[in-house]
Amino acid sequence: MEHKQPSLLTRLKHKIRGSGDVNTKRVQRRLALKRTLTDKLPKIIFCLFATGYLWMLLIPFPHLGRTTYIDENALQPSQVNTYWDWADVHIADQYLGLLEQIRDGNYTSKERAEWLNMEFLKLGLTSSTQSYTFLSPVTGVNGTNAYAILPSARHSGTEAMVISASWLSRVDEGAGTVNIRGVSFVIALARFLKRYSYWAKDIIFVVSDGYLDGMQAWLGAYHGIQQKGLEREPLQHSSGVIWTALNIDYPGHSFSNLGIFFEGINGRLPNQDLINSLERIARYTAGVPVTLYDHIDPRENSLVNVEYAWVPRFLYSNPIIKAYIIRARNILRQLKYQATGRGSGVHGLFHQHRIDAITIFGLPAQGPHGFHAIGKTVESTLRTMNNLLERLHASFFFYIMAERGWFLKIGHYLPSAILISVAMMFQGLRKWVDAGWIEVDGTEKSDPSRVWVRRTRPVLPVLAIMILTHMSGLVLFVSLSSTWLSTNTYWLAYPFLVLFAAGIYVLFSKQTFARPNEAPLSLTLKALNLCFASTVISIIAVLNFSLSASLAIILGIPLSVSSSKGSTLSRLVRYLTYTYLSIGWRLHAPALAKQLLWNWHVLGVWLAPFVCIVYVPIVMQAGISCIID
Amino acid sequence: MLERLNTKQSSSLASSTLPNLPLTLLALGSLKIWIALTDVYDALKRSQELSSPMSSYSQLQEGIYLFEHGINPYSGGSVRHSPLLLSLFTTLFPKSRRAASVFWALSDVLGAWILVQIWRARQNVKGGWRDTLVAASYLLNPYLFLPSLALSTSTLENTLILATILLACRGRAAPSLLLLAFSTHLSLNSLVILIPVVLLLLSDPHSHLASPQPSKATLKRIGALIGTFVFYIFVLGSISTLVVNNLSWIPQTWGATLTLPDLQPNTGLWWYFFTEMFDHFRPFFLMVFTTHLLIYVAPISIKFQYDPLYATFILLGILGTFKPYATLSDPGLFFSMIAIFPEIYSYLRHPIVTALLHLHAGLLMPLFNHIWLSQGTGNANFFYATTLVFACANAAGLVDCIWAGMRLAIGQSGDKFEVVQE
Repeated sequence: MEHKQPSLLTRLKHKIRGSGDVNTKRVQRRLALKRTLTDKLPKIIFCLFATGYLWMLLIPFPHLGRTTYIDENALQPSQVNTYWDWADVHIADQYLGLLEQIRDGNYTSKERAEWLNMEFLKLGLTSSTQSYTFLSPVTGVNGTNAYAILPSARHSGTEAMVISASWLSRVDEGAGTVNIRGVSFVIALARFLKRYSYWAKDIIFVVSDGYLDGMQAWLGAYHGIQQKGLEREPLQHSSGVIWTALNIDYPGHSFSNLGIFFEGINGRLPNQDLINSLERIARYTAGVPVTLYDHIDPRENSLVNVEYAWVPRFLYSNPIIKAYIIRARNILRQLKYQATGRGSGVHGLFHQHRIDAITIFGLPAQGPHGFHAIGKTVESTLRTMNNLLERLHASFFFYIMAERGWFLKIGHYLPSAILISVAMMFQGLRKWVDAGWIEVDGTEKSDPSRVWVRRTRPVLPVLAIMILTHMSGLVLFVSLSSTWLSTNTYWLAYPFLVLFAAGIYVLFSKQTFARPNEAPLSLTLKALNLCFASTVISIIAVLNFSLSASLAIILGIPLSVSSSKGSTLSRLVRYLTYTYLSIGWRLHAPALAKQLLWNWHVLGVWLAPFVCIVYVPIVMQAGISCIID
Repeated sequence: MLERLNTKQSSSLASSTLPNLPLTLLALGSLKIWIALTDVYDALKRSQELSSPMSSYSQLQEGIYLFEHGINPYSGGSVRHSPLLLSLFTTLFPKSRRAASVFWALSDVLGAWILVQIWRARQNVKGGWRDTLVAASYLLNPYLFLPSLALSTSTLENTLILATILLACRGRAAPSLLLLAFSTHLSLNSLVILIPVVLLLLSDPHSHLASPQPSKATLKRIGALIGTFVFYIFVLGSISTLVVNNLSWIPQTWGATLTLPDLQPNTGLWWYFFTEMFDHFRPFFLMVFTTHLLIYVAPISIKFQYDPLYATFILLGILGTFKPYATLSDPGLFFSMIAIFPEIYSYLRHPIVTALLHLHAGLLMPLFNHIWLSQGTGNANFFYATTLVFACANAAGLVDCIWAGMRLAIGQSGDKFEVVQE
């Protein structure tokens, strides 16, 4: 049977696999692949870094992303006739007059809230006040909120929406400008809304004291959440689950545009349907131009071109570059609000409780819009929110708003940070492999070439160093949080860190742990440090992209280039550079540190503990890997 | 962790620099009790990664309450703990939360002690510096530490399973099988390790990975031991029935493992699959998933018949990856047990990859759970995706251990050779 032709299948197999031992070929193939990958790894890592950083630069590019759209059919924005009219504007003006007397009459918080309470009661609403005190180690605050509930005529009161105004406007982060028209508008709106019976959800009106603190106390009490350092009265009246909230901020005489602020606490974003509905309603029902933040688009209003005077004319006249600059400005603003975790205003506090909320900000100007336009917008938006049958869920929760009506979805921006994180991971794994092998002279006389042999990695001491740094980060955080240390001895961190490094050096640099055939501590530390940093970046990316991107920018290259080679002096200099990178912010911006701590104690923003317990130790590890052997 | 132990094994750290076993247990045990007595339980009790409906402490408390008030705990739908556990907690075990925290911590210390004893039995040594590491790998493993702080009964199950294995290592058939029957009553899935435990009773716990040979166990002796086990199951079942007064405990405890009535998310692979499934496919896929767990018993027991302790270890890893109502403590047991098999370390192919996968999965699971259920910006797919990452991490560890266990028999190869799998 030897002359018989092999079957078609066998021939095909031969054609594809070739002849010879299958296993040998497989091993050869695998080795060849490994060799190629190993040889090309530095190039691959470089490409990953380059693509990642380039991608970040491309995020504001006008060809990336798409126009916004309404995803939830039930919303039907801008489909109703509004009834808010000049008579209501007149009433709002009258409330404004009264409020101006209160503002100028030096009323205390308590008296002011009582007055607001009386006004709500006069309208026939269920109303009350709530006093609170924050005892923060940084700066304590106290105040009194006033709130009223309009029960829904058509429903059992299991669902609610909130219209709120804080006493202080968001201008200069609540520096002291009174949100006077915002507050008078809320009272006038309460009076207006009571006339209609089509509300399917309770409407809660809240005039919170202070800038952020009042609403934080009110929301905590509403949801029954205990907060350390907060003494507050319980709420006398309550309603159902709050789904959506609008915060009104209208400090000026009139406004030119309605600005939308949407970033919440700890980087949460509201459902995009809310922003899009408001944008369409303002545009089509009230005829007000909408913008992101307080950035007026120079293409719509040529007066604002002044703000871009620093851009060379020949670039600015190019429409693509102009669009790029305008978008980059918006995106950097979002990056700032998201990465610091503080959110961009009072609405951000609602996000902690799974409430989609935004702030409508009347950009102070001499005209042309006022109570009439904001009233129509808010009335129609409330009608839209009233249509909701379930929580907002259809549209996007992960996005970057590039400009009004234009956004990037997650696939358009997330890969940038992830690519950098992957590059760091590959770099770490490469160092890990380097730590596991050493090249020695061949032992066989016939083959004197150098050969690679395995060596062990000192993983346990390295893990000990890493845990020690994170523990010292915890100590740093606790010491910053304590009142005495944060006010008197913030500079103490430096001698502390130098002592810490000296301790690490003495403990680990002496050859106590070094054994023949063991990898150097510094190499293993660098490998695990890079792997850990990469993990942190890629994991934070989904929760808070802006923070993750900032970490990728700050850590990506610096951690990859740490090394323990060179003279003692240069190593020491490198160590000090890393120390500066890790904790320099403490020296340069003590106010920032204070702000971060206040955010943590009062608002629960976890950036401060994250920086102390994760970021500082990670950079310190890179520094330590420069001074130990 | 693998690599850490790996380096430690060859470490020249003298035994004098490491504290001895009682001291380690005392130190780590007191640390554990100290942490357990804080309010950390309140923060962790609702965590779906740490306790499932089958092992949650709040459901156990509800069962105890109903039981003490003369109401059949199994007439409702929420209590899924064994009647044996309910009767023990109403009589012997502490009921207050703080006392329970101490009890759970002590159970972990006992588990660590047993693991050290298993290690000694396997290596045939009386003690040594590695005892400390073995104990630490059990007490400091976050996958075991956190469920214990959340008072998940899986902690008690793990201790029971370790005790079963230790007694089997010492050849004590009756108590070993009794404990296995007991842990089967607490969690039906423990049945999977019956065959290797029986084989272990019929051989010795020493490492034979390097020299495979057919098992000397005869079918007759295996049959006799399985008969004993069935007898214990029956006796404990009768006690359960007497305690409850009827058979309603069976569908609520064992039945729940087989029919998956509670689809609360957990770290396993079942819940999402069955939330998505049309009802008319349910019985079929329940059968497939359950059989899938049992399928591994025969090949693993046959392949590692020369080292049944290793077979038990592998099957525990399979349980941790594929069982219904999985929590972190199931794979945790598997990964802590790696400490007693130092001979395989040098044959592991990708310990760093496994460790990094676990780092990612371990951080992503609570995060995505938060994004889905607290923050509301994500959905079930987020958490499901991380449980897939977790399953990959578990599978990576498992496959690597199976490979290393078999590869060991071939021995170190020079540079000129490569061992491949056909």
